[in-house]
Amino acid sequence: MLFKDARVSQIIFLGLFLLLGVSTRDWTVQSNLILVVISSCLIAQWLLSAIVEYAKSRDELTNISSKLNILTSTKVLISLRSALITSLGLCLLLRSNSYQTMMLASFLAISSKFLFRHHNKHFFNPANFGIIAAITLTNDAWVSPGQWGTDWWYLLLFLGLGGVVLKQVGRWDTSIAFLLAYGTLEALRNAWLGWSWDVWQHQFMSGSLLLFALFMLTDPRSIPNSKQGRWIWSLAIAFSTFILQHYFYLSTAIFWSLFIISPLTVLLDMVWTAPRFNWLRSNSRVPSSKLPLTT
Amino acid sequence: MKILKVLFSCLLIGAILFFGIKPALAFCGFYVAKADSSLYNQASQVIIARDGDRTVLTMSNDYQGEAEDFAMVVPVPVILEEGQVHIGESEILERLDGFSAPRLVEYFDRDPCEQPRRNRFSTRGIQELESARLPTPQTSAKLGVTVESQFSVGEYDIVLLSATESDGLETWLIENDYQIPEGAKELLQPYIKQDLKFFVAKVNLEEFDSNGFEKLRPISIAYESPKFMLPIRLGMMNAQGDQDLLVYLLSPKGQVELTNYRTVKIPSNTQIPEFVQTEFKDFYQSMFEQSYEQENKQVAFLEYAWDMSSCDPCSAEPLNQEELKDAGVFWLNQPSPNNRWNGNSNVFITRLHVRYNRENFPEDLKFQSTSDRSNFQGRYVIRHPFMGELTCRAGSDYQKSIVKRQETEAQNLARLTGWDIQDIRGKIIFPESKPVPWWRNIWE
Repeated sequence: MLFKDARVSQIIFLGLFLLLGVSTRDWTVQSNLILVVISSCLIAQWLLSAIVEYAKSRDELTNISSKLNILTSTKVLISLRSALITSLGLCLLLRSNSYQTMMLASFLAISSKFLFRHHNKHFFNPANFGIIAAITLTNDAWVSPGQWGTDWWYLLLFLGLGGVVLKQVGRWDTSIAFLLAYGTLEALRNAWLGWSWDVWQHQFMSGSLLLFALFMLTDPRSIPNSKQGRWIWSLAIAFSTFILQHYFYLSTAIFWSLFIISPLTVLLDMVWTAPRFNWLRSNSRVPSSKLPLTT
Repeated sequence: MKILKVLFSCLLIGAILFFGIKPALAFCGFYVAKADSSLYNQASQVIIARDGDRTVLTMSNDYQGEAEDFAMVVPVPVILEEGQVHIGESEILERLDGFSAPRLVEYFDRDPCEQPRRNRFSTRGIQELESARLPTPQTSAKLGVTVESQFSVGEYDIVLLSATESDGLETWLIENDYQIPEGAKELLQPYIKQDLKFFVAKVNLEEFDSNGFEKLRPISIAYESPKFMLPIRLGMMNAQGDQDLLVYLLSPKGQVELTNYRTVKIPSNTQIPEFVQTEFKDFYQSMFEQSYEQENKQVAFLEYAWDMSSCDPCSAEPLNQEELKDAGVFWLNQPSPNNRWNGNSNVFITRLHVRYNRENFPEDLKFQSTSDRSNFQGRYVIRHPFMGELTCRAGSDYQKSIVKRQETEAQNLARLTGWDIQDIRGKIIFPESKPVPWWRNIWE
């Protein structure tokens, strides 16, 4: 039953990547920083969702014990899975040597889900928000685009695992659209410059790019709900990444693009309406209105 | 684990004693030897000092031939004026090389029955074509080549060119007697398209002879550009096989890393047999080659990352303010508002060793500065066993532990370098076991 929630497979895969990265890719990630990130995300999520639940059902709660029961209610506890995914994403992508920076990034990442909402949906990818916040607000944080290298094996690994998770989640179209669009733009530029094809291949096969496209760009709870909306959204991100990378020379272009284009989700959802994604929807016979709305 | 504890305590001590390093107090081992750039055939050395968008790039000149045949072509992001080009001294590259090279250190075991030292201190060009007389402006315009500026600095005559197409540039270079090899045209095209200019230098023979220079000195250029890159593709044009490049990246913030290639730290802090002391350079070459092959020749290696105001152990004296300025550090007397560090403590050096070739390194190197100030150095440890008279019972235990330790050291060496384990064992002097006679300690 546990595996019917696609978040569980995502947690396992991200955890596996983190383990692989630390043990074979020679990263300087300290284990205590990983613990700090995970615990900060979980604590922030726990407290914030409990507060939201409390505010919603304040009238029904009569005594202290029923109020405290919120902290251990199923809804709140299940929401911790999303927080775990966010924390793993931060561990994989954000680098820092300072506890405070990581805690800040975690807290801001989770808070963005509660602060930036439209019609009960958050539109910033939380891990991405945390990364951008850490990079802009502190001096201590950075992203290493080259940390995965370009070995074939990792390429296949990412593709395979990404595909599995996405097929479960049903949002593979964002990855495909982004990779196709971005790949084409890079290929055109490469040809115009006159480089040989191995240059394009080398640029495109970056493990970090794939990780972003397959695991970050596909968070189904913050991307546009409708298929057309998602295609336009992915194309916009691909285009923006291309511009930021080659005209503004930003090595963190992909993260900035996702951040800047995220508010577009709101617009796209207004134009093309479709039911919002729910983690447990496809696997149970309970009508979606009765399911816990996870954050 | 013991080595880690020792390392930690010496990092702490090293931080406290950051000036006036007295090698006698260096607990991280006594410095023995270093693996500097002299190891490599024609290694290019480049210093990049960068703060924000402002960069000072220094390129070494390893050129061995006749001065009149020397010429250099480097793509640069902006047009340079005379004041932006400076000719330095090669000593600065040797200093940086010595300071950041992987090092061998030694420890001496104390007499196990109760309760040592010595101190000493001790790295080829980007583009070599054949040269030239003065450029002729009339034909330049027809070829789409513009001579943006032209001046002499030190023993060099320098010309800054911008071009609109590679055919024109190639023709211009040939007409002005720069012999460019086959295929240069295709490689020049991407740089032209990216709107890069071409910095072309050749030797001014009168200056060279009259000043009695013996070898060509490094050229430094200062410019401001958001592009943080090093064009290596042009250098691959006429080379066969792998080429070595040492890049010294100086930054006020912290480590500088590559964004389009993976960086791996060279194996470090490993204990190796004593005999390597006389073969340290061979050891390092083999180890580097081995690591390089294991990574499928696709990565760059980090050999040193440290705050330049200290070192532990030091393979060379830390650089003083004058020397840092020679290296291109331009931010020394201007503490920036976000910088917590003052004075000469805000220079961080990253030494990257890239062995590149055409197949595995198709892209020019692109960098980014990070605020990672964690330290790393290539450090290899030799422990000398106590060789004196062992007069107590603990002595034989000590002997046994030495044999075990030497075997581990041999295994480490075999693993790092790929040398045959039997050969290694043959070179190690295993201590003779001299058991203490039973009657020795009766009447004590």
